[in-house]
Amino acid sequence: MAMRDLVNGAASCAVPGSSSSNPLGALANTLMGSSSKTQERLREIPTATPTVSGGNLYGEQPLAALPGSELEHAQHSSAQGSEFLQGFRSVDQNGFSDAWDEIQRPQIPQFQGRDGLPLEQPFHQQDLIGPPQRVLSNFLHSFIHSSHGSMPFRPTSLPVLGLSEGDKQCIRDRTSIMARHLFADRTEDFIQSQVNALLSSLDIDNDVRARGHIPGRFSELEEFWNESQGMKPGPHGVDGWVSEFSQHQAARGDPNMWVQQFERKHGANGWASEFEHSQIASIDQMRGSSIPNVAAMEQSRMLAHTLAQNNDPKFQNSKFLQFVSKMSRGELAIEDNQFKPAAISKPGDWANEYEQQYSGGQSWGDQFANEQHLHGPHGWANEFAAEREQHRATEDEWASEFSKLNVNDWAEEFERHVADGTFADTSADSWANAYDEYLNEQVALKQKSGASRGLYEFSDLNPYVGHPNPLKEGQELFRKGLLSEAVLALEAEVMKNADNAEGWRLLGIAHAENDDDQQAIAAMMRAHEVDPTNLEVLLALGVSHTNELEQAAALKYLYSWLRHHPKYGSIAPPDQPENLYYGDVATLFNDAAKLAPEDADVHVVLGVLYNLSREYDRAIEAFQTALKLNPQDYSLWNKLGATQANSVQSADAILAYQQALDLKPNYVRAWANMGISYANQGMYEESIRYYVRALAMNPKADNAWQYLRISLSCASRTDMLEACDSRNLEVLQKEFPL
Amino acid sequence: MPVFKTPFNGYSVKFSPFYENQVAVATSQNFGILGNGRVHVLQLGPAITERVAFDTADGVYDLCWSESHDSLIVAAIADGSLKIYDLSLPPTANPIRSLHEHGRECHGVDFNTVRKDSFLSASWDDTVKLWTVDRPTSVRTFKEHAYCVYSVVWNPRHADVFASASGDCTARIWDVREPGSTMILPAHEFEILSCDWSKYDDCIIATASVDKSIKVWDVRNYRVPLAVLNGHGYAVRKVKFSPHRGSMMASCSYDMTVRLWDYMVEDALIGRYDHHTEFAVGVDMSVLVEGLLASCGWDELVYVWPHGTDPRAP
Repeated sequence: MAMRDLVNGAASCAVPGSSSSNPLGALANTLMGSSSKTQERLREIPTATPTVSGGNLYGEQPLAALPGSELEHAQHSSAQGSEFLQGFRSVDQNGFSDAWDEIQRPQIPQFQGRDGLPLEQPFHQQDLIGPPQRVLSNFLHSFIHSSHGSMPFRPTSLPVLGLSEGDKQCIRDRTSIMARHLFADRTEDFIQSQVNALLSSLDIDNDVRARGHIPGRFSELEEFWNESQGMKPGPHGVDGWVSEFSQHQAARGDPNMWVQQFERKHGANGWASEFEHSQIASIDQMRGSSIPNVAAMEQSRMLAHTLAQNNDPKFQNSKFLQFVSKMSRGELAIEDNQFKPAAISKPGDWANEYEQQYSGGQSWGDQFANEQHLHGPHGWANEFAAEREQHRATEDEWASEFSKLNVNDWAEEFERHVADGTFADTSADSWANAYDEYLNEQVALKQKSGASRGLYEFSDLNPYVGHPNPLKEGQELFRKGLLSEAVLALEAEVMKNADNAEGWRLLGIAHAENDDDQQAIAAMMRAHEVDPTNLEVLLALGVSHTNELEQAAALKYLYSWLRHHPKYGSIAPPDQPENLYYGDVATLFNDAAKLAPEDADVHVVLGVLYNLSREYDRAIEAFQTALKLNPQDYSLWNKLGATQANSVQSADAILAYQQALDLKPNYVRAWANMGISYANQGMYEESIRYYVRALAMNPKADNAWQYLRISLSCASRTDMLEACDSRNLEVLQKEFPL
Repeated sequence: MPVFKTPFNGYSVKFSPFYENQVAVATSQNFGILGNGRVHVLQLGPAITERVAFDTADGVYDLCWSESHDSLIVAAIADGSLKIYDLSLPPTANPIRSLHEHGRECHGVDFNTVRKDSFLSASWDDTVKLWTVDRPTSVRTFKEHAYCVYSVVWNPRHADVFASASGDCTARIWDVREPGSTMILPAHEFEILSCDWSKYDDCIIATASVDKSIKVWDVRNYRVPLAVLNGHGYAVRKVKFSPHRGSMMASCSYDMTVRLWDYMVEDALIGRYDHHTEFAVGVDMSVLVEGLLASCGWDELVYVWPHGTDPRAP
């Protein structure tokens, strides 16, 4: 057992009571006994600890003062035995692990140079206690030397590294995680082999506890893969096998390797050469085939190539990148080494091999015939089992699990599938199809979200199509506050007369008041196309873009508003600068406000501008000025309320929204905003009622649905989340009447 | 301002919130892959001197100063533990606490700046834990992320709200009064390594990702980022809002640069420092001295310099 295991109290020596049987621990206890006891006492009475501030360090507030703690306790009490665990943990915390720390600290200097040893040790110093810096860096340096002298590097010196299992796990896990940050541009496959190369040159199995990457964007694929694995060849234990297999795969940290393999296969080109390459290699190595290793070598070369191509001298000199790449090159020498049996019979290898050879097309036939002799399904299974048996010592748990299963049944099943080709059909192809589908969906989703920003989406069923004068009808409905109806009528109008700027404008306003800014912008853009100088349209576009937090676009329209205004057009320079700066535009409008202090519109624009720059106090002032000039403008009241809410004056905001709603009871946006203000004040139940009210008037207000969901979860009304997700207004209205 | 050379690779640097001339640095041997760690507390002056250092058995990935006691430091250790150091005690009496609950590497800690009574830790075991200095066990565990959590930060205004950044490509907003996260921000297509709140607008958050970009979000409308800051050539390791200017932030990256940004202006990049010769992984901005920056990197160097000057200038 390595020193590090002992001092760290790794799993094998973690039984606290057994410390006396641990010679090192006993020694340390003897040596350290007195001092560790003193410190123990310090810990027990931490308030006695002198501090600079002299205050009471701990426990000034009772725990109950910390919000959220009750949630954790609720969880604990519900889980059987967790209290015990917690108790154990706290005991362990105060007692044993501290004691271990105690023991451990004096050991640190032994490989740290704290006692004055220089950090860079001479090369010959290999009598190592731990896995220290100097060995790793020596390893690195000898790599560098071997590359300069064109001598083949033999990693024979590596065993003296004496890496403990814990160390290996550290290297394995941390390099796996870090490599994904460093090589984010590269494929998952590349990263995997990069790490594998490094690990195998350090003689580390990339096995059970390694931590594979589970990026969010792949999880669906893996789920589907698991589903597609759900073929059930037999009644007994086979499910167990499948889960065991996938679990083992996952545990090996390379579920993605398989995925990548697929991607590569469907990505075609790269695969062909890869296949050729591994074919050549695998003929030699068919028995102990190590395609991942070969691939890793290939990838190391690719990395070396990449590094050579990066002209940044800093990167050429980066010790870390050298560290990684040189380590990887150790792979070249590992051919002389014995293959670790674990590397031979990785379940993943089998999948790879099968995939690669299967997709090989013509050559596959011959290959398969050869394989039949060596690795026919039965043979393979037996071999696999046999190898597993050999492995009992290291992986006995898995092996015994595996040997319990009826391997032959599985092999037969496999054979049958191969024979009638269903294997590929049911599993591989459908998986691939699903993957393609998924990709297409993603693309479609992107396109959709792109399109929805510029394109107006008409409603499907519109009773107003064919109406003799839908514009008049729409205006009337809008005046009455029947916004959703007005939208339909106005849509009918613009379908009839696509060049009707007023129709588009009113449609945009109706959408904005209905709390649907995407559609509002789309409609306003059409109005703008038809009549590029319409001031109301320009102002509305500026406001809508401000709501969507799109500063550049908002500035553009607000500036145009000024340019085309008969009174202020002269203020703005005639040629619109390419890039508008917020400060410039704000100055222009301030000039305009001085020019005509009684024009409410200028103050409105100023208010919007200040919202853009988040100067809410000034924005509120501007809107209040505008309201003095035009107190009947309900949308102004709403703007004032929104600004007050943004500047954390939610109570005031509610008053402003109330004004707006008094003037226009069907103002969906104000209802929704009211909900936001209540939510901001922590009154989630209240906010839910307002959101539901707004949604009852316009179920298409997507934002409001999202807000509703947040409020429901904040109010711990998770029971209603389903109604929210299925947009079941009936249930919601019943539950939350206003 | 001079430079300080640490024996190990730098991982994080933080200015003291109490003394303008104190900086704490977290370092790890072998790039944090294997070996020891050390916490340095440095004294700034004509030269940077070491006030005290604490050794750890595993790498130190992050640290934070207590907001309530000027001598307390919480360090996030790669072995999954959190260690609390009291600078007023001799190194032999430290750490005064070792909190070991995380199953895997601790990668981030943050002390509550409003209530000042608690701190959070982010770990590669996919969880965030809430702690107080006076309790031997965590107060709560937040387990929702599907992959490593790299960074966690309290909201500077609301005592109970915090954000976490994870390798599952999401940032999440949490309220400790609630059972689960209150918002999931699918901020990037790649792993998110860091996040920070604006110090002037409690709704603005920045996320930094392996995709080389920094995105600024308004949590009230998270469909579209307020700004996307491109320029770093490799993964962005840390992002930090200025305590003095609302729209300004600093970032550091595996491209070895430290950059300053103003997300409100058209050309957002307002400063670029190229002084590190290995990955720059830690950056901080002093609360007490406007414009004072600190950075550390895997070149084992800690720099402290006023914005606008050359960090390497003697």
